[in-house]
Amino acid sequence: MQTRPNVELTKTVLTEPVAETLQEKVSVRNLNFYYGDYKALKSISLPLYDRKVTAFIGPSGCGKSTLLRILNRMYDLYPGQRAEGEVLLDGKNILDPKTDLNLLRARIGMVFQKPTPFPMSIYDNIAFGIRLYEKVPKSEMNDRVEDALKRTALWDEVKDKLHASGLGLSGGQQQRLCIARSVAVRPQVLLLDEPTSALDPISTAKIEELIYQLKVDYTIAIVTHNMQQAARAADFSAFMYLGELIEFGTTDQVFTKPRESRTEDYITGRFG
Amino acid sequence: MRPLLSLSHYNCVQARVSGSVVNNAVTAVAGRTSSTLARNKLLDSLLRISTRSAAIVVLVMLTGVILSLVDGALPALKTFGFSFIHTQSWNPVTEKFGAAAPVYGTIVTSLIAMLIGVPISIGIAIFITELCPPRLKRPISTAIELLAGIPSIIYGIWGLFVLAPLLQKYVQPLLIGAFENVPVLSSLFAGPPYGIGILTASLILSIMVLPFITSITRDVFETVPPMLKESAYGLGCTTWEVVRHVVLPFTKTGVIGGVMLGLGRALGETMAVTFVIGNAHRISHSLLAPGTTISASIANEFTEADGELYTSSLIALGLILFVITFIVLAGARLLLLRMKRAEGH
Repeated sequence: MQTRPNVELTKTVLTEPVAETLQEKVSVRNLNFYYGDYKALKSISLPLYDRKVTAFIGPSGCGKSTLLRILNRMYDLYPGQRAEGEVLLDGKNILDPKTDLNLLRARIGMVFQKPTPFPMSIYDNIAFGIRLYEKVPKSEMNDRVEDALKRTALWDEVKDKLHASGLGLSGGQQQRLCIARSVAVRPQVLLLDEPTSALDPISTAKIEELIYQLKVDYTIAIVTHNMQQAARAADFSAFMYLGELIEFGTTDQVFTKPRESRTEDYITGRFG
Repeated sequence: MRPLLSLSHYNCVQARVSGSVVNNAVTAVAGRTSSTLARNKLLDSLLRISTRSAAIVVLVMLTGVILSLVDGALPALKTFGFSFIHTQSWNPVTEKFGAAAPVYGTIVTSLIAMLIGVPISIGIAIFITELCPPRLKRPISTAIELLAGIPSIIYGIWGLFVLAPLLQKYVQPLLIGAFENVPVLSSLFAGPPYGIGILTASLILSIMVLPFITSITRDVFETVPPMLKESAYGLGCTTWEVVRHVVLPFTKTGVIGGVMLGLGRALGETMAVTFVIGNAHRISHSLLAPGTTISASIANEFTEADGELYTSSLIALGLILFVITFIVLAGARLLLLRMKRAEGH
């Protein structure tokens, strides 16, 4: 009962007249997730399209962050959490136990609710991730760091204090540093877990602008509590409720003509 | 029901009879308030005085200890002067005393104990906080805490009757044989395997400091926000890289605090060391040779110290231990301060 509408929706999305052809970068198929005995996600199926922003919306506890944390298998750090089903990244199932987690996480970057700069300098915060998987000469490293900071519009603010601690930046700058850090390792997919929930409106606007620019190169999934943010930033939206995917479609469709009454109730603020 | 009613009735009558009842009530309340205020004030100043005097007692006691140490050490320091620190001989018959051997023993045993104990402690802490399956977490933590609860005398007799013979029979001959032809190490592990000696004392000490360093580092490791660790894992870090680049830098002040606490304990540990160190007042190149530490010397010889100079020399040893501990603590503070400044805040 739960899977049927999803499949149907995926099809309708694909048959909608869209100018460019959509490619599925990540495909979630019939995914169930358990915290111990508690079933947190129920038969979720949805695509993340290549170089598009997909927003996961829904009330607290609906499983949207859980879904995001499956995409880079962050849940693996915690015993008692397990996933069933398939998550395909370029056609390969990442839930396969043989998947190299470190490599997977280097390919799928993640940014969290709160800024989490590492206890090191601004420069090293970015160079650290690059050094993990690449041997880069000093001059190229400088370029990579500069490039990542420019992409996140942080360069002009920090270029004179690259070797000061990352902890000394403001909250909004720290969050952009964290995004720069994720971008610097050149992932293919970027997961943003409520990236602006701890930020003021100006910093939020900067991050949203950033998301708009980053989707040229990256497939982005964003969890947000902010309806306007989803409407502004996302190409596709998935509405989740109590561990189920209620509706998936283009953001325009989900926000203007939702098929499900529960989606409409949530978007118009009747609950949630 | 009845008495209540009659009481209120009575009050009403009273009110009506004495027109000033309202005024009375106001002054009564005011009176009660001012007495409460006065009592609160008294209680507060009592608290202030008692806590302040408790704090002052510490300072007074510390000063007293230092003064009596200096006073007691004065005869020895007057007789031997500065050479007391670097003289090796300790001869009660000719009354020639020098602190070099016990100072050397104290520092070397503590350093070796740290060298062995710190990596193991941090390893245990990392295992408990990062890698341990949940059902093993509690048993391991409890075992560590029990280790801290064992009285040092038990470590002493265990060291003397169990560990020392084992080392003598199996480990020390192996060490001597293995490093025979290695330039520096051959002199470090030379001589007959006594069983007891500097190395054995260091091993016992490392076991004794282990629970302290482990529980402190474990506690500070647990203060690292999970999200911060997840961000590092999210970049593709291995557990070791997360520990090395995120957990340790984030908790370094706490870890250094734990190590210093362990070092403080190692420097001052008396009973267990006395049992296994051999109590010989000489400095030997070999770690297998017997030696002594400051606290072991004091504990061993206080009862037999006759003559003012002998007693005074022992007290002077105590003063030196005090100074060493102080230097270690001050050094730790300085290190932390410098690290904070290097971080730029």
